[in-house]
Amino acid sequence: MSLKTHSRSKAIHVMLVYTGGCNGCDIEIVNTILSPKFDAEQYSVFLTWNPREADILVVTGPVTKQNRKPLEDIYNAIPNPKLVVAAGACACMGGVYKNIHGDIPSEEIDGPVENVIPVDAKVPGCAVRPQDVLSGVVAALPHLLGAD
Amino acid sequence: MSYLTIVNSVLEVIILLLIALFVGVLIPGIERKYVHARIQQRIGPPVTSSGLWASIKFLYKENIKPNSPVPGLYKAMPILCFIVVFLVFIALLPLSYGFLAFASLIAIVGFLKVEEIAYVLMGSLSKSVMSAGLRFPDHVKGAERVNTLTSYIEDISSNRSLRMIAFGSFPLYLALFIPAAMCGSIFLGDIVSYQQVHGPFLFSLAGVLGTIVFFIGLMIMLNEYPFNIVKAKADVIEGPYMEFASKYRTFVYVTRGFMIFTLSCLYSVLFLGVAPGLLSLGFIVCIIVALIFVLFMGVFSAFSPVFTNRQFYPVVLVSSVIGVVGVILGLLI
Amino acid sequence: MEEKKAKTQEIIETEIQMGTVHPAALEPYRVRFFVEDEIVKDAEVTIGVNHRGIERIMEGLPVEKANILTEKVCGICSNAHVWNSVRTAELGLGVEIPERALYIRVIMGELERLHSHFLYLAHGCEVLGHETFSMRIFYMRETIMDLLHMVGGNRVQYGCSIIGGVRPRCDLNEAKLAKLSESLDLVEKNLTEFADRFTRDTMVISRITGVGIIPQEQALKLAVSGPTLRATGVKRDLRTDMFEYDNFDFDIITQPDGDVKSNLLMRVLESFEAINILRQAIKNIPEGKVADRFWEMVDTDIIKSYIEVPRGTLYHSYAIEDGRVRGSIIRTPSMANIGAMQYASIGSHITDAQLCIVQCDPCFTCSDRVMEVYDYESHKQLDKSMLGSKILY
Repeated sequence: MSLKTHSRSKAIHVMLVYTGGCNGCDIEIVNTILSPKFDAEQYSVFLTWNPREADILVVTGPVTKQNRKPLEDIYNAIPNPKLVVAAGACACMGGVYKNIHGDIPSEEIDGPVENVIPVDAKVPGCAVRPQDVLSGVVAALPHLLGAD
Repeated sequence: MSYLTIVNSVLEVIILLLIALFVGVLIPGIERKYVHARIQQRIGPPVTSSGLWASIKFLYKENIKPNSPVPGLYKAMPILCFIVVFLVFIALLPLSYGFLAFASLIAIVGFLKVEEIAYVLMGSLSKSVMSAGLRFPDHVKGAERVNTLTSYIEDISSNRSLRMIAFGSFPLYLALFIPAAMCGSIFLGDIVSYQQVHGPFLFSLAGVLGTIVFFIGLMIMLNEYPFNIVKAKADVIEGPYMEFASKYRTFVYVTRGFMIFTLSCLYSVLFLGVAPGLLSLGFIVCIIVALIFVLFMGVFSAFSPVFTNRQFYPVVLVSSVIGVVGVILGLLI
Repeated sequence: MEEKKAKTQEIIETEIQMGTVHPAALEPYRVRFFVEDEIVKDAEVTIGVNHRGIERIMEGLPVEKANILTEKVCGICSNAHVWNSVRTAELGLGVEIPERALYIRVIMGELERLHSHFLYLAHGCEVLGHETFSMRIFYMRETIMDLLHMVGGNRVQYGCSIIGGVRPRCDLNEAKLAKLSESLDLVEKNLTEFADRFTRDTMVISRITGVGIIPQEQALKLAVSGPTLRATGVKRDLRTDMFEYDNFDFDIITQPDGDVKSNLLMRVLESFEAINILRQAIKNIPEGKVADRFWEMVDTDIIKSYIEVPRGTLYHSYAIEDGRVRGSIIRTPSMANIGAMQYASIGSHITDAQLCIVQCDPCFTCSDRVMEVYDYESHKQLDKSMLGSKILY
């Protein structure tokens, strides 16, 4: 294992962007990072709010039309290599907000996240379980470690 | 001075710098894992993660151009800070006590002032995407902003650092001059040799007062938790450092740890009379002092909220008064 | 005390924008602070980036489906939305709810109140910059989350109520009740210790006393609701009017000042009261079935229902036609509290201004609604030209 790979696996900075979900996933994720029960820091995952510092962008919520621009801006502000984890049903496939009456596309939603920025890992669940978020981040890690 | 002496001195400085940097990058991890996490009843990150590996990791990130009106100057700032701290570090080593103007308190105060001014510049040059850069729908559609000047959140932090230069650094500088008052000289060599004869200043009343004031000043200087209004997460997110990416962020990370270590060395020179030489116990004393400072800083920051100006001014006022009393006591002896 | 007034825009120097992504706010919204020398002279909270049109999606759905959909309005008080939506249908259809189901609904509602208040406290401490306290509360909150997971089957969204009662999987057996009361003892012990520690911490108290004051008249004028209103000394709690709470004996907590300290202590004291209600529910829970499935679907006129949720008064209304929802309207408590947030942050330091917004317990993801403003006298919809003259600060 080279120094680059090792250092990347030993310090992972995660940034979270809400794009108009219901707050359920968001609070679960911030809790995962924060609360002493799950304590993501013991796996050297740190929560940051600065895109320049982040390695992994966790996106929750169906991207509403109004939130598309901020999400793209933040994604572009993260230096390479970077990963995107879409967490929650809304971020993965639009959730209950995607369609009206089954097949009419909702005019409020631009999502899912895939339509806006490339996604490396998807974490299902409504709301996501904290354990699932951790395993999603871990599943996406090889992409990050192997990158130039 | 012979050729060999110069080579020896340079080698010594390099070895000491490497040790100092190593201790410096471990300091954030020690603070986070053994103090904060213990108090918060959780396991906490690995010791090497938040300092050492994070610094190395950023070296391998893409060097993205910062959002700044003068990117070159902005990117030079962390390097400038590092050089300034390095100069303070060299001034503290016994081999430079011969250069009188360099190894004096005035020079150290000057160097630290440069560091403070760097914060102001960094704050005003950083234009992060996280503040006014995130365009809200009404602006995108062209809403007018009547009679207002839109300002980035880093500008607030720049204003605050400017205010910090005016009053925030009083305690540290007062504490620096307590030993000078006690031995009657501003030269580090004199201070160390005075203490080797008369015993450390710490064991006198003025020295104890000086230690308290030095500690508060140290925390203000480092923008550590209760005094971190310059980079308070609740409003300015990370303040002046917002736009640094890749190796410049590494410099920011390394400089912080290195600065804690250097200021601890400064303390042990001024109040314990122990100079950080390579082949002496002095360097180990410096490391122990640094660890004790980090321990106290961690405990203090874990149990206090961010201070706004309403709490900040009284703290600075009281510690400055203590510092003045310390200087007067030192002059009387 | 004299009324704080927003200055007119000509004098204002600098505008600071925070959001849509910001660590103190978390949710997508934008706040503009107009500052003079770090003192906030005027504040403007703008929402609207979160609008997902959930009422539009509800339109025409079968009532049962629409009820489940309402919990996606908000991830914090999801149970309250389902509860109130189901309650609306029940009021319209005249469904008798078994006593046991009412008790289980109250248990879920109070557990949710505990988790919401703990989240508020933790988030408040985080914005205050006190990481240790926030960690301590998040740790306590996990106990509540486990209880919610045990009863509802999910950590966040547990569609517990259905028309006629609660879902059979949410029924409580002896073991679950024992676990519930055991965990509540633990939570109460931890909360007591925390409250002692919190009120004795001089640094924190000096930071939060007298910050972000909302005077009582102003709160009433702005139609503030919930704990934020009670923290200004107004004794108003909709739980006293709800038939679900008829069998329970509880106090309405009020605090005198309306500043951040009152708000934080308000939540702590209300949590104790919620634990008290939960204890009564566990003790007196009657036997019987948990759902009455024998109700008849009829067409109804517009039905309105108000309940008290952790953040204030929640309003749901819709009409039922052919078993489908028509004209659904949801009004969440944070909608009413936005005015209080703007008012509270005027006159404070920027670092405190975020605290002033957080003290009103914002939940912008649930309050993003399309609004039509009507003139009070003529009942005409206001357009842009009328807005300028009619709406005054």
